[in-house]
Amino acid sequence: MTSKRILLVDDSASVRKVAGIALTSAGYNVLEAANGQEALSKMTGEKIHLIISDVNMPVMDGITFLKEVKRHPSYKFTPVIMLTTEAGEDKKQEGRAAGAKAWIVKPFQPQNMLDAVSKLILA
Amino acid sequence: MQRFFNQFFGSAAERTDSSAAAAAPSAYDEALRIWSAQIETSRQHMEEAVVELTTRFGGIVGRLDSALLSDGHGDGDGIATDAKQGQQDLVQVINALKAIQRSRQALAEDIRSVVMYTTELRQMADEVGMIAFKTNMLALNAAIEAAHAGESGRGFAVVAHEVRALSDASRQTGKMITEKAGMISETLGRIADSNESIALEDNQAILNSEAKISAVLDRFSNRTAVMSEAMQAAHQQSTEIKEEVAGSLVQLQFQDRVSQILSQVCSSMQQFQGNASAPDSAASQDDLARRRLEKMTETYTTDEQRRIHEGLETKAVEPQAVTFF
Repeated sequence: MTSKRILLVDDSASVRKVAGIALTSAGYNVLEAANGQEALSKMTGEKIHLIISDVNMPVMDGITFLKEVKRHPSYKFTPVIMLTTEAGEDKKQEGRAAGAKAWIVKPFQPQNMLDAVSKLILA
Repeated sequence: MQRFFNQFFGSAAERTDSSAAAAAPSAYDEALRIWSAQIETSRQHMEEAVVELTTRFGGIVGRLDSALLSDGHGDGDGIATDAKQGQQDLVQVINALKAIQRSRQALAEDIRSVVMYTTELRQMADEVGMIAFKTNMLALNAAIEAAHAGESGRGFAVVAHEVRALSDASRQTGKMITEKAGMISETLGRIADSNESIALEDNQAILNSEAKISAVLDRFSNRTAVMSEAMQAAHQQSTEIKEEVAGSLVQLQFQDRVSQILSQVCSSMQQFQGNASAPDSAASQDDLARRRLEKMTETYTTDEQRRIHEGLETKAVEPQAVTFF
């Protein structure tokens, strides 16, 4: 269907698994990382169409990672979806200010995530 | 938690006042370390188990997806279409046989018409015979009259003789026509009889074929209806199972929340290690603990943690709509 590549960043292996299954089933190519630092390392030189990132992660948290992505000349226009247990409005605004395009609270419906991915990749 | 600690180690004041105060803090710290390690081990076990479950459930959803895709809408559309197509094909075969039967009937009518013509031909041949007979009689009379006329009638006698010869030839020809017409009529009659007999057999065969085909189609139709219902039920059940399993995948995400809560608990327990063994007074130990409690709120990542910290009831977390910026 599509060969769009999505970078999935989450320290929870189970969340990566749930999201990864949904994205792969929908035809996306998924690259996984367990934290922001690992993600930055893995994405270098790769064509990434969209990023899904957790907020609270060890080593490098999601907001810091998001800011790094937005500073990167190759990825500053890559849409980023934050996928987190954080549901507070202040956290959402922090993500928005850092450049996130959407905010999904865990637990999430995989279809809602796929709809958001589809919408942002086409935008 | 403090009450729990106190059950094991007594209050901070008791610990600092006790003569065994030097030993109590290390036991307190050791207990915190052990609990922290055990919680972390449990968290890891749970994460591994949930990842395994998620993988298996994901595989089930994938296989159900494939199965649901392969049987379309599960209403046996393919079978029903094949049955309908088969029925149409068989109806076409029957129609083709009926067309052949109609051609045979048309041929029988044509043969009957030809038989009628041969009858007319025989009548005409009879008339030719009659004319030949009359011509012969006329020629005979002419010969007699020519004989009576003597020498002057000799030429006329020759003509009368030739007329008789022609009359005989005409009679022979008429006779042959009659015979041939009779043979043709007889042959055509046999052909017509045979054709009618075959037409009757064909008609019976077509009727039998129609009856058998109808019976087969009825049985097939009944079977396909049963199969279609079974497939619909199976499709419905597969869809429900897939939804249930997909729902389970959502529920399994609790592990991430639990993991975050347990990680935060471990981290906080590690921070509290050394609190009891500090050589300060009970009051200052309590102040330190309260400051750490205050600081602890900054490490929360879920609403449940914050509500529990504030002594509020927690509520089930449901999937929310996506917020777009």
